[in-house]
Amino acid sequence: MKASDSVRVARAVLGAVGVSLLGYGLLGLPTQLGPSQLIGLLTWMAVAVLIHDGVIVPLSTLAGAGLTRAGSTLQPVSAAVLRGTLLTGAVVTLVAAILVKAQSVARGTTVLEADYAASLVWFLAVLAIASAAAIFALERRASLPGRIRR
Amino acid sequence: MLKSNPQKLTEALAARFASPTRSSRLTVVVGRWLGISFTICFLTGLFSHGLQNPPSWMFFPTSPSWIYQLTQGLHVTAGIAAIPLLLAKLWSVYPELLKWPPVKSLVHGLERASIALFIGSSLVQLTTGLINTYKWYPWPFPFRETHYWLAWVIWGSLLLHVAVKLPVIASHWRARSTEEVAGGAADGGVPGVEKSSGAASPGRWSRRAFLTGVAAATGTVVLTTAGQSFSWLAPLNFFAPRKMGTGPQGVPVNRTAAAANVTELANSAGWSLQVRHGATSREFSLAQLKALPQHTHELPIACVEGWSQTAAWRGVRVRDLVNAVGAPAGSTLRFTSLEPEGAYRLMTMAPEYARDEKTLVALELNGSVLDLDHGYPARIIAPGRPGVLQTKWLQSMEVL
Repeated sequence: MKASDSVRVARAVLGAVGVSLLGYGLLGLPTQLGPSQLIGLLTWMAVAVLIHDGVIVPLSTLAGAGLTRAGSTLQPVSAAVLRGTLLTGAVVTLVAAILVKAQSVARGTTVLEADYAASLVWFLAVLAIASAAAIFALERRASLPGRIRR
Repeated sequence: MLKSNPQKLTEALAARFASPTRSSRLTVVVGRWLGISFTICFLTGLFSHGLQNPPSWMFFPTSPSWIYQLTQGLHVTAGIAAIPLLLAKLWSVYPELLKWPPVKSLVHGLERASIALFIGSSLVQLTTGLINTYKWYPWPFPFRETHYWLAWVIWGSLLLHVAVKLPVIASHWRARSTEEVAGGAADGGVPGVEKSSGAASPGRWSRRAFLTGVAAATGTVVLTTAGQSFSWLAPLNFFAPRKMGTGPQGVPVNRTAAAANVTELANSAGWSLQVRHGATSREFSLAQLKALPQHTHELPIACVEGWSQTAAWRGVRVRDLVNAVGAPAGSTLRFTSLEPEGAYRLMTMAPEYARDEKTLVALELNGSVLDLDHGYPARIIAPGRPGVLQTKWLQSMEVL
């Protein structure tokens, strides 16, 4: 059997199994969800895609373009540290923001007991200081005499 | 002029969104990480579902006793890791969304529809899964059933997606794939971006740096939340909904006696545990249970929401009670809680747990009498079972 044949077979098998499992899930949903719940689920899916594709990605792309300008005077490695810091900070902020919101509505006795807002502030402060120190050190090392370019 | 030609417009837009970080190679690398996370979630989720709604062929491992603590901890942790990975994966293929015409053929339309379903269900699955662990339910559908069926939709979509993209995946599986990737553009690569092969222009992000950033963000959310499931990470637990060692007797509580409406019944002086086997029926008062041989075991209680807590439980072996009513050791049991209502008022226990020496009707926790919120006067603790099946405030035990 040629390599291209085995790829074709693999694709066919994966595709067939995938469609079966997908179909099983789609057919299973209406057995346990009523019409209004299914509409609710579809609405949540549509809104999730709209928020993601219409807000999160365009905004992060804009932020990236801004960083490209701001970071063009930095060493590539410093610019990467800056972006990695912002990405990490954004993801942790997202998680912590949902936690803080949940705290105002959730029920239960030993759930959500920590002060997440304070944890977030501390986390962001440590992250900012660590990455600022790293960028400063990287830029300084690059600007030392003997280097070709600052 | 662009407006008169949507294809030019979308091509211009796609070019604006193009970046070295948006390449097929990057998508394949992040896709692998995401595929692994989704697969861990799917398999551990099926295991948890099987323990709670067992099919006839279900297996019930009781050893190691921390097996459910591990699988459900992995389930929730892999789900949390999947959030930044999914965002990165979708970010890397965003220009695909802007392709024109949106539908070229029936097959192409079906593929795009399947992708839309895949993305929509993945976003909803991860969002609701995370928020569910906060005991917050702001959606108009039942969580457990939706989470279960969507898991099939998502993992099926994943296999289908791999089948469709297999040539692109294969050609970018290794870092230095050949230059004949040109064909990749037709399969979803962004034209003109492949050639940069991850190198950074001034101020831009290289592919490797982007991957490092995504790994850092993923590692950070994992390290700062997984301490609710894994004790060695507990010191770093800043952003998980649960903390180890909290709650009465150092064990977290999901459902309080007040919420379950059992305070009065559980505190009643006349409480006794009924044990039935066919026509044989015996009643054990709390004093009589305490007079039976007591056993202590270190066992974790592990919730479907991912948190877990190991504790010392002391009480009567379930198999001794089975013996006391003359039932065979390999019996299936049904326990009833004092709870007047609730999805877990009745609990069926497979013979694997019933005959295990570690399965207890617990009367004490961490050296003192069981707290009312932990199931006073008596509760079940068995190795390797989901927390919702560790029935609290026992009323009766029946041999089936």
